[in-house]
Parts: sequence; structure tokens; C-alpha cells
Amino acid sequence: MPDLPQFNMLKLIPSGLTKRKKLRGGRVSGPWVIFRKSIQYTALFLFIALFVWSRQDGGPANLINIPMRMDPLLILAHLAASRTILAGSALALIVILLTVVFGRAWCGWLCPLGTILDLIPFNRQRKKRPAIPDGMRRIKFDFVIVIFVAALLGNLTLLFFDPLTLLQRTLTVSIWPALDRIVTSLEIGLAKFPVFAEPLGVFDYWIRPAILPVQPVYFQDGLLFAIIFSGVVLLNMLAARFWCRYVCPLGGTLGWLSKISIFRRKVGIECKGCTLCTDICPTGTINPLQDFSSDPSECTMCMDCLEVCPRGQTRFVPVFSPEKWTGYDPDAKEAFLALGATVAAIAILNSEQAAKRQSPFLIRPPGVREFNSDVVAFTKCTRCNECIRVCPTGGLQPAVLEVGVAGLGSPILTPRLGYCDYSCNACGQVCPVQAIPPLDLEAKRSQVIGLAYIDENRCIPWSDGKPCFVCEEMCPMPEKAILLVETNVVGPDGSNATLKLPHMRRDLCIGCGICEYKCPVSGDAAIRVYMPQVSVPF
Amino acid sequence: MGKYSRRNFLKVAAVGAGALTLGSILDACGQTSPTSIPSTDTALPSTQQPATLSPFPPETLQPATNTAPPPTNTPLPPPDLVVTSGGEPELLVRQAILALGGMEKFVPIGSNVIVKPNICVAYHTYEYAATTNPWVVGTLVKMCFEAGAGSVKVMDSPFGGTQQKAYEISGIKEQVEAAGGVMATMSPYKYVRTQIPAAKVLKSTDVYEDILNADVLINVPIAKQHGSSWLSLGMKNLMGVIQNRSALHISLSQCIADLNALIKPQLTVVDAVRILTANGPTGGNLADVRKMDTVIASPDIVAADSYATSLFGFTPEDLAFIVIGASMGLGRSDLQNLNIRSIRLDA
Repeated sequence: MPDLPQFNMLKLIPSGLTKRKKLRGGRVSGPWVIFRKSIQYTALFLFIALFVWSRQDGGPANLINIPMRMDPLLILAHLAASRTILAGSALALIVILLTVVFGRAWCGWLCPLGTILDLIPFNRQRKKRPAIPDGMRRIKFDFVIVIFVAALLGNLTLLFFDPLTLLQRTLTVSIWPALDRIVTSLEIGLAKFPVFAEPLGVFDYWIRPAILPVQPVYFQDGLLFAIIFSGVVLLNMLAARFWCRYVCPLGGTLGWLSKISIFRRKVGIECKGCTLCTDICPTGTINPLQDFSSDPSECTMCMDCLEVCPRGQTRFVPVFSPEKWTGYDPDAKEAFLALGATVAAIAILNSEQAAKRQSPFLIRPPGVREFNSDVVAFTKCTRCNECIRVCPTGGLQPAVLEVGVAGLGSPILTPRLGYCDYSCNACGQVCPVQAIPPLDLEAKRSQVIGLAYIDENRCIPWSDGKPCFVCEEMCPMPEKAILLVETNVVGPDGSNATLKLPHMRRDLCIGCGICEYKCPVSGDAAIRVYMPQVSVPF
Repeated sequence: MGKYSRRNFLKVAAVGAGALTLGSILDACGQTSPTSIPSTDTALPSTQQPATLSPFPPETLQPATNTAPPPTNTPLPPPDLVVTSGGEPELLVRQAILALGGMEKFVPIGSNVIVKPNICVAYHTYEYAATTNPWVVGTLVKMCFEAGAGSVKVMDSPFGGTQQKAYEISGIKEQVEAAGGVMATMSPYKYVRTQIPAAKVLKSTDVYEDILNADVLINVPIAKQHGSSWLSLGMKNLMGVIQNRSALHISLSQCIADLNALIKPQLTVVDAVRILTANGPTGGNLADVRKMDTVIASPDIVAADSYATSLFGFTPEDLAFIVIGASMGLGRSDLQNLNIRSIRLDA
């Protein structure tokens, strides 16, 4: 880095103290910072743009799942769990290569969650907090060990905490539905005033279906996922980028990879120890006690230190030897402990899954049942929630504990909230790791994902003697899976009547769940989709 | 479907040429450029006309239509109901509306028109007869503009699949946009709670505001079987404009009639180009589809539905919503007393 930007005030501030005051807000500027921020905001914008694009009936699947296929943690863990190599996952090599050259530049320059954490820094709230011991940094590395050991044992549950899946899940399940509610409520409110009719029409024309759905979707655990995400953001109050420093498993993966990265931060000999860089560093890795050196596993290459250094002593230079193991990098004993704990935990989880085999409403997306042997644990699923965000009806919901802890974040069809649309095969197309097989529409239409059963005790014609045939009407099968049989029934008052009673023809049912979704009975529907016979060897 | 024999073409052309003599109305259809309509499903007798007419005839042309002396084969007064059969969709629609007195009778100049087809699911293309024939809808949009309509919006709210996909798969979007109309999104904020004083069961419901505010509503159902011994026709098609439809299903026939007491389309055009005879309303099996090449048009929605029952071998009395609708005074189901004009285009 030959030409470092010079500060005009350089000669006026011998000690850097005046400048430190200026940096109270944690802000620093300069060409590198402006460049970095423009990349950051572009990446965040693209991430959200792809998210929004996918809501309008899919969008091109191979484009909208690019962020997930670029995520090395997700792709490597999936590789360990499934032992299959997918051509589309080669995109992760870009980020791996980027890391080998520039260290954790992903974290500082590209990660959309990192950018959000930069945008909501809680700098002011943090001033009086106690310093967090450096040893905490080991959490993210232990996290990486646990995730990869679990992946080798066929469990990807903890990818729930991958930053991309976390952000995507929150956008899908919490933020967008909330935004939709707010906008729709405002529209309804303003529509009462004739003055607004015209502008509202124009506004709505632009946002629906482009940004918000025409038919709203609802998520049962929106609040829970919002709280988890808020927790990640609020941790910023304890330390800048707390999540990235101490917890993020992707950060841990890239951090270890950065031990051999080429460009690393070095401090020149003319450093006078003004500690400006220590103060500004968002990951707090610049150690004044060790000649202001930093750990490339922690450095996000944000360039703040380069811009803030009044003497131009911070440089990023090529280094071709691996970085040393630090005090908070797990040693052999710690790694072995993490490994053992993971093995034990997976054993317990697996037995829990065997118990969850009994769950009657475990309905996976189309094709999963036939093409994967692990319907319950769904070990190929990276919890990226792409399928959930493209599902046009909101039928696919992220599981919380419905299929046990191991199924956390995996998609389950919840017919009372949305059905599997007979004209849609988007989930299989968009899945970045083919956990949901990419079936064409014809093949998807014949996938039996569940089987409907009529509850004759609650069904309106069966139990109340009143006509109703919504389920038959809604059934999308070319030959209806519900048959209406004209029957003489004795009503509750003893009167005779001829009624059409619905009967299931289960040989024709695919379990799409539109009958359950539309059933006019309140609460649980009078026709419900159950999981078909499990062919899983337990 | 598909190819035309010369004989067919000549027939169609002859009918088209005959239609030209009927008045100035058809002048307006001469503007249709041949490329805007796929030739597979549409006869283009009008292309023989000189292409000198502008796409939208000046408004001054329109009043002349009403004052033009009726040709000898148009008796007075206009019929209550017109059935056209044996031709391509565009011609069937044009002849039917013409025989009713022309679109000008229903669409005042500058009015905002909503055409409500049946786009109930996004599952299949129009050949499966689950959704209204796109050319029937497209022709109506064209005719509205020819009559001087200010705006023509087409909308429906499907129960299976998303609206935008249903618009596309049904083929209706393509034809409507080619005709200059707008496929409107039915936005969730625009439903307003509306009282229905005349109703017996459905006392109030959330109705799409644009439908309530439209100057002209043209109802374009497709005739199809629905729930073993039941039919989905014009009256049922209006269910697409309300929000909470599952609430109607407990006493569906009465609710349909109640809804029809509130929403009264100026014109109902039943598309029976193809009818779905089983596994309706969603369809999906071509064996259940019968090609009838028929269009039924009437300002009386009950009469249109009553006549359409005959396509399935029913009588109006077989369908409770028709009986209830007639008894509520929403229209007439006594087919024998109606002035019905049957036009066979291939005779």
C-alpha cells in the first residue's frame, strides 16, 4: 500500500487526543471506508433485492439462491453431511478464495448481517460496559467444530445460526409479514379518505405484487424469530459486532481460513502508540500490549485503522506464512471436548427423533419423502429457508420444535396456514442443495406429501346435516380425491334429508392440503392432512 | 382446433361479411391487427375490411350506431337472451352482443368498465375449461373500447395459486393486454364491508371496492360442473369479488343469491366455448371437457344461468341458486316466456 491517504490535520494533532474525541461516535471516514461502505450497502441491497424478487412467484431460482450457494459454512457442512458434490455449490469457492487472499473480508465487506450490525451499532449504549474477555472469542471456533462434527454425523441443525440463514429467516418470517401488515393497515386507513384513493392506487400498483404479496402470508413463529434476531443485534450493546467477534460460526470458519490469508495488517515502526486504531477497531482485535498487532482471524479488513492512523503506519501487506495459534483458538483438549459433546448430543437427538416419528403432521415439501430417506431429521436441509420464502401460500413454515430439536428451522407444510399450490414447484427449484428435489411441475404434482382424512365428527354435512362441499370444490386433482356421495341422513332433529357427504379417495390424494386450508370449520379443520406411512428405517 | 378448411374459412368470412352490413358497429372491429390475435382460436373475418379505420373510432361515430336503422333481420324489441354457436370465440361474442343491441347499449361513452371472468385457479391453460376462454374476454374488452369505454379493467381472485400466475396461465392476461385492457391486481386493502339489505343469510360481506364503484360490470363466467350435481355459472362467478368466501359455503345457494342482490352486472356473457362436465371447478382432465362453441349473453344474469343449465342436461329448477334468485326477483328463469334468439354461425 504505497500511497496511504494523508490527513491534513496530521501536524496539528501530535498526540491524536483531539482526534480521539472526534471518534467518540465510532465513525471514521476516508476513501477506503467510503469504498468499503458502498460495497457493503450494495451487497445488502442485492441480498434484499433477491429476497424481494423471489416473492413474486419464484423468480429465477438459480439467481435468487446465489447468496446461499456462496456461503462456505453452509456448503461445506452440507458436503460433510450429504457426501454429495453439487456443481452449483462451487460458488462457495469464490468466498473461500476471497478469504485466502484477503482474510475475513467477507465479514467486513459483504456479509449482509454484518452490514446490518454496522448500521445499528449501539455505540452510545456501549460506553460504560465492562470489557469482555478475549477468551470468549473461542465460542465461534468451538461452534465451528460442533457444526462440522454434527454434519459428519448427519445433522445440520446448527446451520440455523449461520448468519445468512438467520437473516433470511427473519426477513421471511418476521420482517416482511410485519411490513405487509403495516402497509396494508395504512392503506385501509387512508382509503377511507377519498382524497387518497388515487395516490393509493398508484402506490399499491407499484408495491403489489412486486414487493408485497397480493394474498398475505402468515407465520406462526414470527415473533420468536424476531426475538432471536433482535438478540443478535442487541448484543452490539456489549461490544461492537459482538455476534461477529464471539458467536458467528461462519466468521469462525472464515477466521480459521484467514490464518493462511495473504494480505494481513501490519504496523510500521513509526507507530507512536496513540491507540486510535485500537479504539476504532470494530472487532477489538488490535492489541496495544503487543505492538498494536492484530489477529487475521478476527480482522474483518474494514480498513478503519488504515484511515484513522495519523502516521500512516497501518498497512495491509502480503504475508506468506501461516499465522500462529492464539490463546483463544481451541487447543487439542478443547477441540476433543467439543467433539465428544457433539457426538453425545447427536446420539441423544437421534433417539429423540425416533420418538418424534410419531408426529402425525410431519409434512415435508414435495419430493422430500420419496427422494430422501431421512424425512424426519431432514439431514440434507441447510435451514436456509429459501423454500419458505418462495412458497406463494405461506404453507411452508420453519419448524420450531414440531419435529424435535433436530428439526429446528426445517420446512414443514402447515396446511391450516397455506396449502401446497398445484401450480407451483418453486421450493424444489430454489433449494440450493437439492434437499428438496428439483422436480418439474408434472413430477411434483404426483408427489404424495401427505394424506387427507375427514373428521366425521366435525365435518358439517357429516355431523350437522348441512350441505357443504368446499373440500371437494378445492381439490386440485384432475380426478377429485374427494367423492361426494348422495346419502339419506337423519338430521339432529330427527328429520330425514338427502345430503352429499364427502368421502376420501385416498388413492388419489397427494396431501396438498388445500382442503384443510379452506375447510370452513373453525379451529382445526374437519379434514386434515396426515403424514403418510413412514418408510424410514428406525 | 387448429387448421381451417377453406369451407370453414369461407363460412366464417361470409358471416363476417354479412355482419358488416348490419350497421356501423362492426366498422370498429376492422382495426384489429391480424398479428394481435393467434389465429388458432379466432376467426378474423374483419381483416377483410379496409385497414383505414383507427384503433379507437372517434366518439362521434358511436351515437350513429344507436340511431342507425335496424337491418331487416333484426326484429324489435331486442331479445332477452342471445345464444350464438358454431363459430370462433371472437365471432360468437360479437354476434351475441350485436344481437342484444350492441355494446353501446351497455357501455356508455367514457365509462369505467370491469370485466369479471372466472380465473379460479392457476393450474391449467384455457383448454381445460377451468377458466374463461381468453378470446371471449379479450373480445369483450375490445368491444368495450369500441363502444367508447374510458377504461376497462379485468380482475378475478383465484382460490388456487397466486393471482398473477393465474392471470398468466389462463391466457387471459395476454388477450386482455392485447386488447388494450388492464389486468388489475385485487389488492387486499380495497375490500369494504357492505350491507346487503335484501339478503336472507349473507347480510353483510367484504366486497372489492372497484366492483362497487364500476360504471359497468360485465360478468364472463365459464360454464362448468361443480360438486357432483351443481353448476358454476354467472351467479356463482360473482363470488370472486368478495373476501371471505368459505363463510358462504354453509348455505351456498342462498348466499350466492344474496350476493347477486347486491352486485348486478349490466351484462352476463356465459362462455361455453368449452364446458367442464366433471371434476369441476378446478378441472385438469381433457376428457371432462366438451367443446360447445357456444356463447350465451343476456343482461339478465338469472336468465343466462337458466339457459346455460341446458348445456349440461339440467333445468333451471335443478339449481337452488337459480330458483332462489328468481324468487328474489333478481331475474327470470322462465325460459319458455323469454324472448331468446338463437344464432347458429355455421348453419
